[in-house]
Amino acid sequence: MTETVAPSRTAMIEMIKVCKKFPPNVVALDDISVSIASGEIFFLIGRSGAGKTTLLKLLCNMERPSNGLIEVAGMNIHQVTGNKLAKLRQKVGVAYQDFRLLTDRTVAENIAISMEVSYKKPQIIRNRVRSLLAQLQLEDKHDILTGDLSRGEQQRVALARAVANSPALILVDEPTGNLDATSTEQVMELLIRCSNSGATIVIATHDEALYRHSTHRIMKLHNGKLASLTRGDGQERLKSMEAMNGGSSDGI
Amino acid sequence: MNFWFSIFRQTGRNLRQTWTTQFMTCLTVSLSVLIFSFFYLIYLNMLSAGDKVTDDLRLVVYLDEEPGPEMQKQLRLKISQFDQVQEIKFISREEAYARFAEQLGDNRDVLTDMPTDFLPASIEVIPLKTLRSLNQIKLFSEYLATLPGSQKVQYGQKWVERFYYFTQLLSIIVLLSGILLILTATFMVASTIRLTIFGRQEELELLKLVGATNNYIRTPFLLEGILQGLIGSLLGLTSLYILFQWTARHFSGAGFLDLFTFTFFPPGIIATVILLSIVLCTVGSYTSMQKFLRI
Ligand SMILES: Nc1ncnc2c1ncn2[C@@H]1O[C@H](COP(=O)(O)OP(=O)(O)O)[C@@H](O)[C@H]1O
Ligand SMILES: [Mg+2]
Repeated sequence: MTETVAPSRTAMIEMIKVCKKFPPNVVALDDISVSIASGEIFFLIGRSGAGKTTLLKLLCNMERPSNGLIEVAGMNIHQVTGNKLAKLRQKVGVAYQDFRLLTDRTVAENIAISMEVSYKKPQIIRNRVRSLLAQLQLEDKHDILTGDLSRGEQQRVALARAVANSPALILVDEPTGNLDATSTEQVMELLIRCSNSGATIVIATHDEALYRHSTHRIMKLHNGKLASLTRGDGQERLKSMEAMNGGSSDGI
Repeated sequence: MNFWFSIFRQTGRNLRQTWTTQFMTCLTVSLSVLIFSFFYLIYLNMLSAGDKVTDDLRLVVYLDEEPGPEMQKQLRLKISQFDQVQEIKFISREEAYARFAEQLGDNRDVLTDMPTDFLPASIEVIPLKTLRSLNQIKLFSEYLATLPGSQKVQYGQKWVERFYYFTQLLSIIVLLSGILLILTATFMVASTIRLTIFGRQEELELLKLVGATNNYIRTPFLLEGILQGLIGSLLGLTSLYILFQWTARHFSGAGFLDLFTFTFFPPGIIATVILLSIVLCTVGSYTSMQKFLRI
């Protein structure tokens, strides 16, 4: 899909005045407009309940916006149906906050699912699964049922499944919620490797360690509203954000 | 290639997870195939036995008087006016007497005191093979009764009627068991597949989310339907065949069944029954699947 978008820096995601309301009167997202370039790593931060998960769900067509327009790879994803939607979803890898692993299947089978649906050769699938497990130091869990894993391990398996099919867009929801520093490091390394091979990555997190030292764009949500859109400036803290939100930029 | 590989793996998984329900469904399908084809087989054999019965069918018109040659010609004409017939034979009193005596065989001495003309003369009418239905035969016999000098018409009414009604009853049973087959095949398979879908909702939802096409999700279930139909009908037909062989072995030679040389289905009908079960089961699984995919 990245190949089909001609100039290298075109938008992978285009959101215009997007609102999402849940009945009876929860406004999860309110008037969000943002454009995310192809190949970009984009952080989505904010407190619990700010609307991060909702935004990701809109991007992968699990929810429909109440208002506004969302385009992914130049397509209005909420008008795409049938096989076209399936093809689009094969190009969008999602690591869900609640993992959505099949707990009665092994780690390898869970990761393979995203590749099986696009009819990858079994040999390729096997190799890819092993390589991903190695990168996340889960080699010994290959044949364990995911239901028997710790939450931290489940989280990494969910991430492996999201990136396995080399999608053009990777959406990750709280990827490090249950992880120690070393594992967090490995997860970020994996994501950066995906980014280097061209994937656009949107990371929703309230873990400051992930974005503090980065130079990527950071969007902060607050009660469903866009609170700030800044660029991480390496070593410095996010002054602008602190200024805007009265010093409540701790995330959690 | 890869598509079918994935599909077969998925089907294998399904079957491994839910083989008990699948097995029960398969048994139900095979049982209804057995019931249906059992009655259908009897029906078909009755029909061919019916052919034989009507082969031997003749109507006998007993006459008051022995008809002269002129009268015979007229009667012939009248009979063929109603319908074309295969053969008309005049039997004189002497001939009737001779036949009767022959039939009596060793007991013919009872006739010694009888005059040779105590039996009435008659006409034997053998209708065309196309005259098959009971109604037509009845009409014909009623017509023959109106011939001048006709006393009585006989054609083994009771036997023919009984046979006819039995065949009719059988055809109704065949129809009913056919409906039973349709219902069990479609609804049982539909509900089994629905149960399977229910038990694997989580997985199917996930498959949709990671971009599985509807065909990828649907085809394994359709394959299951096809398998149910194929195995179910094969099982049903095989048990019927075993039953058939057993019956043939144990009852051959017994007087009544001699009339029917029982035969099994010709290959065409076997293929049709199998194909029909497959189609029905596939329809059952397809409807369940469509309901799920629309959600
Ligand atoms: N399906 C839903 N029905 C009703 N309210 C919802 C639903 N999903 C999310 N919300 C509400 O929307 C808001 C944003 O939720 P969410 O996007 O999950 O926040 P975050 O991921 O940033 O913690 C919350 O107030 C949450 O209660
Ligand atoms: Mg969330």
